[in-house]
Amino acid sequence: MLSWPNFVSQLFNGLALGTLLALISSGLTIIYGTLGVLNLAHGAMFMMGGYAGFLAFQYTGSFVLSVIIGSLTVLLIGVVTERLIIRHFYDRPPEDQVLVTFGLGIVFVELVRLGFGSLARQVNPPSWGAGVVHLGFLFYPAYRLELLVIIALALAVLYYILYRTQLGMIVRAGIEDAVMVDMLGINIDKVFMLVFGIGAMAAGFAGIINAPVLALTPDMGDDILIETFVVVVIGGVGSFPGAILGGLISGEILSLTSMVNPAYSQVMLFVVMTLVLMLRPQGLLGAKSRT
Amino acid sequence: MAKNSDTKNLGLSRRSLLKSGAQLAGAGLLPVALARNAFAETYPALGTFPAGSAGASVFVGLTTPLTGTYAAQGVDERKGFELAIEHLNAGHALMKKYSPLTTKGVLGKQVTLGVADSEAKPNTAVQAQTRFITENKAVMIAGCVSSAVAVALNKLSMREKVIYLPGISGSNDTTGKDCARYSFRECHYAYSAAAALAPELIKTFGKNKKVAFLTPDYTYGHSVTSSMQEFLKPAGWTTVTDQVAPLGTPDYNTYLLNIANSGADVLININFGNDAVNSIKQANQLGILQKMKLVMPYISPFLSKQAGPELMAGVYGTTEWWWTLSQTNEMAKMFVDEFKAKNGYTPEWGAHAGYVQVALWADAVEHAKTFYPPEVIKSYESGRKLTTDMGEVSWRAEDHQLVRPVYIVKGKAAKDMKSPDDYFEIIETVAGAGVMQKPDAFGCKLGSAT
Amino acid sequence: MNPSTPSHFRRVWLPDLITALGLALAPFILPQLGFAQDTINRILVLGLFGIGFDILFGYTGLLSFGQAAFFGTGGFVAAYLMTNNIVPNVIVSLLIGTLAGALIAIPVGLISLRRTGIYFAMITVAIAETFFFLENSPLAFLTGGENGISGVPSPSLDLGFVHFTVTDGRSMYVFLAVCFLIGMMIARRIIMSPVGTILMAIRDNPVRARALGHAVESYKLLAFVIAGAYAGFAGGLLGVMQGFMPPDAFTFDTSGQLVLQTVIGGSATLFGPLVGAAVWLYLRDFLQATLHLGAAWKLVLGIVFVVLVAFLRRGLIGGARDLLAYLMPPSKALTVYPAPLSPLPLPRTREAFSGPVLQAKSITKRYGGLYANSGIDFSVNEGELRAVIGPNGAGKSTFFKMLTCEVAPTSGQILFHGRDITGTDVTDVCQMGVTKSYQVNQLFPKLTVHHNLMIAALGEGRGRFRADMTRRISHVPGVEARIHETLKLMHLTDKSETPVSDLAYGEKRRLEIGLALATNPTVLLLDEPLAGMSPQERAETVALLRDLRVGRTLIIVEHDMDAIFGLADKITVLCEGKLLAEGTPLEIKNNKAVQDAYLGGELD
Repeated sequence: MLSWPNFVSQLFNGLALGTLLALISSGLTIIYGTLGVLNLAHGAMFMMGGYAGFLAFQYTGSFVLSVIIGSLTVLLIGVVTERLIIRHFYDRPPEDQVLVTFGLGIVFVELVRLGFGSLARQVNPPSWGAGVVHLGFLFYPAYRLELLVIIALALAVLYYILYRTQLGMIVRAGIEDAVMVDMLGINIDKVFMLVFGIGAMAAGFAGIINAPVLALTPDMGDDILIETFVVVVIGGVGSFPGAILGGLISGEILSLTSMVNPAYSQVMLFVVMTLVLMLRPQGLLGAKSRT
Repeated sequence: MAKNSDTKNLGLSRRSLLKSGAQLAGAGLLPVALARNAFAETYPALGTFPAGSAGASVFVGLTTPLTGTYAAQGVDERKGFELAIEHLNAGHALMKKYSPLTTKGVLGKQVTLGVADSEAKPNTAVQAQTRFITENKAVMIAGCVSSAVAVALNKLSMREKVIYLPGISGSNDTTGKDCARYSFRECHYAYSAAAALAPELIKTFGKNKKVAFLTPDYTYGHSVTSSMQEFLKPAGWTTVTDQVAPLGTPDYNTYLLNIANSGADVLININFGNDAVNSIKQANQLGILQKMKLVMPYISPFLSKQAGPELMAGVYGTTEWWWTLSQTNEMAKMFVDEFKAKNGYTPEWGAHAGYVQVALWADAVEHAKTFYPPEVIKSYESGRKLTTDMGEVSWRAEDHQLVRPVYIVKGKAAKDMKSPDDYFEIIETVAGAGVMQKPDAFGCKLGSAT
Repeated sequence: MNPSTPSHFRRVWLPDLITALGLALAPFILPQLGFAQDTINRILVLGLFGIGFDILFGYTGLLSFGQAAFFGTGGFVAAYLMTNNIVPNVIVSLLIGTLAGALIAIPVGLISLRRTGIYFAMITVAIAETFFFLENSPLAFLTGGENGISGVPSPSLDLGFVHFTVTDGRSMYVFLAVCFLIGMMIARRIIMSPVGTILMAIRDNPVRARALGHAVESYKLLAFVIAGAYAGFAGGLLGVMQGFMPPDAFTFDTSGQLVLQTVIGGSATLFGPLVGAAVWLYLRDFLQATLHLGAAWKLVLGIVFVVLVAFLRRGLIGGARDLLAYLMPPSKALTVYPAPLSPLPLPRTREAFSGPVLQAKSITKRYGGLYANSGIDFSVNEGELRAVIGPNGAGKSTFFKMLTCEVAPTSGQILFHGRDITGTDVTDVCQMGVTKSYQVNQLFPKLTVHHNLMIAALGEGRGRFRADMTRRISHVPGVEARIHETLKLMHLTDKSETPVSDLAYGEKRRLEIGLALATNPTVLLLDEPLAGMSPQERAETVALLRDLRVGRTLIIVEHDMDAIFGLADKITVLCEGKLLAEGTPLEIKNNKAVQDAYLGGELD
């Protein structure tokens, strides 16, 4: 469908898709950047966010309240997971870390299946998100437009935490030089716990606010996970701005290539990722040291 | 019951004696209880026969997805099978309506059901079923929610010489190019769904419409799309876009935008399971459902329950079965009541297909009077008229497809629903014979039974 | 009689015999434990798949999450050839599938091996996903898309005197067991070959492996191709085993499960994947068929898996070994080191050349705006012992790195035997006979002293790359002799079989020098060889350095002035990245500029 209105629509859709990927990926990337752990349970965090929000919505009936309760739930899950399990893997080889998070991912998914069953659950958009918005020839679901704003705000909050708070300074310093942070005598334990929690919460938050778009199923995080990998690699592992840039690029690739041949759009993502890595091995905004 | 089976065995042994008198010269002296073995020996060992049916019970292996994307449908299908086996073993009245010769169990043997999770993966399904066949000597294997698994198990059934009943499988291949002498499909499929639905669509929406397709990227998806195109073309319906998306796509907006900008009148969505739920939900949010009529040629179980009436109202599609048949059909009513009593919810078509398949298998075995697979297959292929809750049906001997009606349904608006599960209205019941391709049209070669 | 025959038998053939025995007994023992025949057959296929992966991951340290690409490729190629009667012979088809797996691994390896660690893992995931897409969509007319390829025939062998046809699970087991045994025998020989040793070196310390004259990138690619071949073969066997080549072979799950089973079983053991697959498949059956857990089986298996990863750091085989070592501590038997097997190789043939052996012409190294070295001219003659000194931060280490081509100068030239070697890589420079020992130890910590020296000694006889995957190391001329000699020189003979991680610091320092020495260099550079040694060790090492200079050119950076002034023929003084002075020890001692420089800093 190559036509100007469609091109503009897809360009815009790429932006919407991209910001969501950016938000989920930023969680993955700050966890990896700070803790050095590639969290394969990140997709499960996204899924659990959705279910926590769904449960909260059943009781409160308020979308905003569900978002808050759901996010905090995933933050808590993240913190507890770090405390009980991930912590013991910092001095283990990377493959052990990858595997334990892979295992945790399975456990989380199957626990949710045990509790909620496999039937898809629905969260409807809040009343202020119903309907379609027409902007000239461009039309778009109202909720998704609002989602764009919500995600932009969430990313801004993450930016603030990372760049304007003491915790953020430590996290960023840790991404650049973990040994140095250690030597400064900062309580790295607490920082790691919080970073894992915040990273998980970013995915969980994305899961809830995206619930009105995507039906909730226990397996919903699986497909997202591989896409966020691609985002993180394109942007540069460990780089927050990189996750945002990578997210936007990935969103646009998925959207724009679908106009030519939709069947190939997901593969194009992998092709672009490989190209980026060949030309700029550390990713677009990645630090050279982290390769 | 004991008496019944004894006489049967006597009769059989007499027949086998006639068949090969010399071989069994001494058999006449054997006590009646042993005559059964004498009978078994007249058929050569084949697959799990006679080992699988030598004891007091026979084993049946079921693989459905219990985890993964199709778990919701898989669990429902499993419950249908479980109910059927329970009814079979108890000699339940409903089972006897399907299989009049049934007393208790099959040929007087209790049926044990083994269940394994296929995760909707062909390799896992083959692995689990092989185990059921070699370890448990399964006399029949069953189950699937995707045609990839059905085709894989079709081939396994041929290799291991064990009867296979697919479950949910909509691909033309299952009784087409990948058909198998040992496999019998009960449900309707891409071609018959399209053939039944197309005239109804043309009748409702008129001629010369523009259609957008949303096709999942695998053989089944492409075959539904091409079948629909074939039947709509004569009425001047043209395809303006065919959006092909990978299985498990999290966000369909990209594809839907292309559809929204395509100027189509009708959206035909081939997706199944959660993909169907997500794509419909997102199409609605994009306002597509206000602009275009939505058609789901092959409605997956629980679609309406998951998507809700606000999305499903006015949607046209076909289904293997819908529970409101119980309002007009006694057997359907018994099935719905029994199922609800046991499982606490209204069954959908995966459970129904599971139940009916087991019942018709029992009927075929009872008529064959043996578990020897070629005899069971002969019994299936006899063209015997079968009584079901869908009316009278029969197996087509050439490709092992059940000749059965296709139900065309239309989604009800919330206000028209009389009960929480009253999502669809059956607007047409299309007789099976008229909507099936010629048996060899898809290149079906059944292969040999031995 | 070859004197090594008994130990060779014990090391090489005995494990093969035990493996064969195990494979012969398995179908009688495992069913008693509740294994189905089909499950046992699958374990063998996955075990074979895992052997190649273990060479890649366990021995070379490359964690790939994309092995499904080669498993699927090999499987589908073989299945296609058989079912379309292009190559009706099952064995030949399997071998072509193996070749396909190996060949496709070359381009994939060339792309993915440019990166390491997590990036490498992610690229392999992406490439494997692309392969799955290709199989499922554009190539569906060949592969059957999601239906896969059915009707794959069973093997039938006619060896003239015996005809073997696979008819059921048992005979399939025999076929698979033979395949597994052959695969394992080849793999064990690869691991024991020079290639295997170098792969382990790459895993433990790629930087040093490169500096010891081995073309690391080529060896990595070789490991990748080996893993691809095993994957391709196993993929073909999967199709043959079940008569059906499933599309799942290409999915991420296949790659993931491979990693899982390898880690559960224990990596760098070759048998680990087999053990892991057995446990995984057994639990899967057990939880579903015996405990009737229904959908919850996956949850339980997930928990079991997390617990296994958390508590068994080295997998089941590693855990069993640890337990065994705990129960039966190894007797402190003398490590009897075999006598040299072949005479020492002749010294490297030198090109007829008179003049400086190593020369630097006005070399400069700039990092951003910072000059580490600027405009240094330097020249060393054949047989000379030269010391390079200078206060901290004088740029000595950078200078050394440029001389051995570890880092390229920003400008200037480096000449070896009058030939410009600027920009050559460190591997080639080592092959020419110039190498360096490091200021901070660069050893292979998981391997023994003997193994460490072997890595260094292998470079000379084999060049930068050679795929001699089945050659016995003892057949590489001069290697054992060189190790023996180096052990003796470095007083490490009785530590020969000790893992490096168990050595004392002084011993590690000696091994560090020994590594450089074992490459048989004509020019040996030593970066602070005495650092961290006790006075006695220093005295010994100084004596050693005196011995070493026979037939060699030595260049030493050192802080220990007493030692240097007694040793060196000539001394070069660097200060703030520039050449400050050069001369005999006496000249340097009396040089005003040198005294000033050291007064400003430290005077030893």
